[in-house]
Amino acid sequence: METSFALTGKGYVIVAADTTAARSIVKMKVDEDKIKELSSHLLMAYSGEPGDTVQFAEYVERNIRLYQIRNLYPLRPSAAASWVRRSLAESLRSRNSYTVSLLLGGYDLATHTPNLYWIDYLGTSVEVPFAAHGYGSYFALSLLDRYHDPEASLEEGLATLKRCIDEVSKRLVVSPGKYKVKIVDKDGVREVEL
Amino acid sequence: MSIMEYNGGSVIAMVGKDCVAIASDLRLGNQALSISSNFQKIFPVTDRIYLGLPGLATDVTTLRERFRYRVNMYTIKEEREIEPETFAHLVSSTLYEHRFGQYFIEPVIAGLSKTPSGGVKPFIAATDIIGCLNFAKDFVVAGTASSKLFGVAEGLWEPDLEPEDLFETISQSLLNAVDRDAFSGWGAIVHVITKDKVTTRTLKGRMD
Amino acid sequence: MASADGGAYSYSLTVFSPSGKLVQIEHALAAVSQGTTSLGIKASNGIVIATEKKSSSILIDDSMIEKVAVVCPNIGIVYSGMGPDFRVLIARARKSAQAYWKMYGEYPPARVLTQEIATVMQQATQSGGVRPYGVSLLVAGWDSHRGPSLFQVDPSGSFWAWKASAIGKNMVNAKTFLEKRYNDDISLEDAIHTALLTLKEGFEGQMTEKTIEIGVVTVPTLEELEAGKIGGETGRPKPTFRKLSEEEVRDYLAL
Repeated sequence: METSFALTGKGYVIVAADTTAARSIVKMKVDEDKIKELSSHLLMAYSGEPGDTVQFAEYVERNIRLYQIRNLYPLRPSAAASWVRRSLAESLRSRNSYTVSLLLGGYDLATHTPNLYWIDYLGTSVEVPFAAHGYGSYFALSLLDRYHDPEASLEEGLATLKRCIDEVSKRLVVSPGKYKVKIVDKDGVREVEL
Repeated sequence: MSIMEYNGGSVIAMVGKDCVAIASDLRLGNQALSISSNFQKIFPVTDRIYLGLPGLATDVTTLRERFRYRVNMYTIKEEREIEPETFAHLVSSTLYEHRFGQYFIEPVIAGLSKTPSGGVKPFIAATDIIGCLNFAKDFVVAGTASSKLFGVAEGLWEPDLEPEDLFETISQSLLNAVDRDAFSGWGAIVHVITKDKVTTRTLKGRMD
Repeated sequence: MASADGGAYSYSLTVFSPSGKLVQIEHALAAVSQGTTSLGIKASNGIVIATEKKSSSILIDDSMIEKVAVVCPNIGIVYSGMGPDFRVLIARARKSAQAYWKMYGEYPPARVLTQEIATVMQQATQSGGVRPYGVSLLVAGWDSHRGPSLFQVDPSGSFWAWKASAIGKNMVNAKTFLEKRYNDDISLEDAIHTALLTLKEGFEGQMTEKTIEIGVVTVPTLEELEAGKIGGETGRPKPTFRKLSEEEVRDYLAL
C-alpha cells in the first residue's frame, strides 16, 4: 500500500515515496514518481485517492509556479504549506473534496533552515522533524522516534530512511517494492538512488 | 469514531487574583497514532487575551486564521484593542454563522478586561461548537480530556490564587487529566496573564 | 455647456465637471442649506443636539414629526435637509447598530456608526441610477473608549468630529454665535441653554416645546459604570442618549 516518509537533518530534508501505482489489488505501474518538485527548493510527496492525487498535485505545482512568475521570487516553504493547507481545508467543505495526503519538504533560503510539513486531506498541517503517511507510518514513526537526529549528516539521514524502508518491507503485508528518494538542501532539489 | 476525538487535545483556563491562566497539551494525533508533539492550540489575540481551540486540527488552523483576520479588522476600524467580553461575543457569532456545517472546535477564552476605574478584571469563557457562551467564575475546560479536567480542576482550584500558585494549579490539573486521556498529552504549554506581562512556560509531561 | 448652473454636468449621474467639481453634491448641499437649522454642542459631561421643527401648515399634526432620532441606546442623530432621505438613513443606521450588537454583544461607538452612515452616503455619490442624499447629519454618542463624541456627516460622505457645529439654513450665523459662546468646560445644562439661544437667532415664529426638539448624551459616572454594563431589570444597558420630553423642553425654554 502507498507509503511515504520524510525526515529533516542538518541542512536538508529527505523525502521518499513508493513508486507503485495500484488499482484495487493489481499493481498497474512500478515506476511512478509521486514526489513533485514544486520549485527550486521545494518538494511535495503526494498519495491518496487515485485521480485526486495527480490533479491536486498539478494544481499546486502550477499555482506555486504562477506565484513565482508574478512576484519574481518563490514562496517560502512555510508560505507554500499555508497555501496548500488552505486549499485542502476549503476543498474539504466543498461538494467534491480532494482526498490527498502530502509531505511538503523545503529549504528556506531566508532562514537557511530545512522545513517539513505533514498535511492530510482535512487540511491539517503541522511542522515536524519527521513524518510519514500510509500504512508504513505505523512502523516508520516509532523507528524515527528512536533514530532521528536533527543534526544528522546526509549519509546518516539516508541510513535512517533505509531502516524505515527495510522495516516496512519486512513487516507490512502489502509492502511496496521500490521507493523514489529526493533531497532538498541549500543547493536545491535532487534525486538519489538508495 | 467521533470527529471531536479525531486529532485529540485539551484546553483549560482558570481565574486567579487579578490574573488568568490558560493551558493546553501539545499532541496532534490521527486517532490513536501520534503525529506531532508540538501542535499549538492556544493563540494570542491581543496582549491581554488568549484563545484556546481544541478540536479538529484543520479547524484549529482555519479558525485561528479567521479570528486573526476579524480581530485585525476590528482593531483597525475601531482604533482600539478588542476587550475580552467583546471578543467572546465575536467568537460566539463566528461559530454560530456556521450553525449548519460547524467548525469542530470548542473555544476557550482567557483574558483580562479593563475596568472603568483603570484596573483589570479576570475573564474566562468557553463555547460549544456552535457558539453557545459559557461565562464561568472559576475555570473552563474543553477537549478530549474535558471530563477528567473537570474532576481535577474541581479538586485543585481555589479562589484568589496568586499568579505563581495559579500556574501550579492549572499545570497540575492539566498534566494529571491528560495522563488519563489517550488522545491528549505529549507535553503542555501554560500561559499566565497578569496586568503587565504574560508568562509562557512549556512543560514536559509523560511523553508516551 | 459649462454654464453657471453646471450645465450638462448637473443632471442624474454624479460626474466630474472639467473644473473638478461634482455639481450634484453641491446641489445636495444646497438642499441641506434650505433645511431648518440644527446644531450640536459637546459639553464636559455630555452632548446636546437640537433642531427647530417647523411645519408648513398649522393643520399638520406635528406630534408625529421626529427630527431627532434614537439609533441605539448610546447614539442619536439630528438632520437638516430632506426628511425622507433622513428616514432612509436612520433605518440603515438602526439596522447597522443592531447588526453590530448581534456580532459583538454591545452597541457601536459613535465613530464606527458614523463611518458606516458616511459610507452609505458616499456610495450614493458613486453608484449609477441614484442621487446623493440631501441631508447633513449631526451624530451624538457615547462609548467607553472615546467618551462623548459629536460628528457631522455631509452628502459627499465626508465626516468630522466637532466640539460644536450647526447645519441647515442658518448655519453660518449659528456657527459664528457658537464660536463666541463655546468654551471647553461648559456643562451640559449650559450647553442646552446655549443651544436654545443659538436656535433663537434667526428663528421665525414662536419657540415652544412643539417647535423645538432636543436630544442629550449624558456621560455615565464612574459609579454607574462600575455598577455594570447591564441595567438590572431589563437586562439592557442604561441608555446614555435620550430625547428630552416636551415638558423638559418647556422647562428649559422657561428659564
